[in-house]
Amino acid sequence: MNGVHDLGGMHGFGSIVVEKDEPVFHHEWERRVFGMFLPVFATGAFNIDEFRHAIERMGPDYLQTSYYEHWLAAFETLLEEKGMISAGEFSARRARIAGENA
Amino acid sequence: MAINVTQAMAATLAGATARVEVSVTPRFQPGDRVRMRNLNPPSHTRLPRYIKGKVGVIERDHGVFVYPDTHAAGQGEKPQHVYVVRFTGKELWGPQGGANDELLVDVWDDYMDPAS
Repeated sequence: MNGVHDLGGMHGFGSIVVEKDEPVFHHEWERRVFGMFLPVFATGAFNIDEFRHAIERMGPDYLQTSYYEHWLAAFETLLEEKGMISAGEFSARRARIAGENA
Repeated sequence: MAINVTQAMAATLAGATARVEVSVTPRFQPGDRVRMRNLNPPSHTRLPRYIKGKVGVIERDHGVFVYPDTHAAGQGEKPQHVYVVRFTGKELWGPQGGANDELLVDVWDDYMDPAS
């Protein structure tokens, strides 16, 4: 698709930030999302190209979110589309976490 | 399928490959001039927008890999060669391209045709 994922040759995004001593993860939640990949992938529910396509289907949100947020969005999209988790289960879980953090 | 921690660690460290061990006759050889197809499917593709319609030269052959366009759509692996294609900066970016710039792009067989 001619989507937001294909950034080659586009202008206006500024220079690439190269961090000195860049950590593997910038936040603990990134480590957890990375760790989710293999067990979720190992279910066989989707392949790597479906995963990439789920990321490019994020649309405009893609540009405002970080690398591991893209991964998380793809997990949510695919697990729901493949019938492994329902939209209701997602929203219930989100509500519960919001309550715990309130 | 279930995996244990040892298997998960091994897979995480080693990564995975889309390479397929099947024999497919290559359509192109290093040195061949090729033109990228102008494909615009609403579904997944790994043909970058900025090389569509452009002419490059086959640099080398990576071997046979899963084709992302069909694989992402649940239409099978359609194994085919992936080549390194060399483009000049002028071919890709016109007058704004650097005179000495070149770009090497990994391109699936189905994304190109012979260029005259």
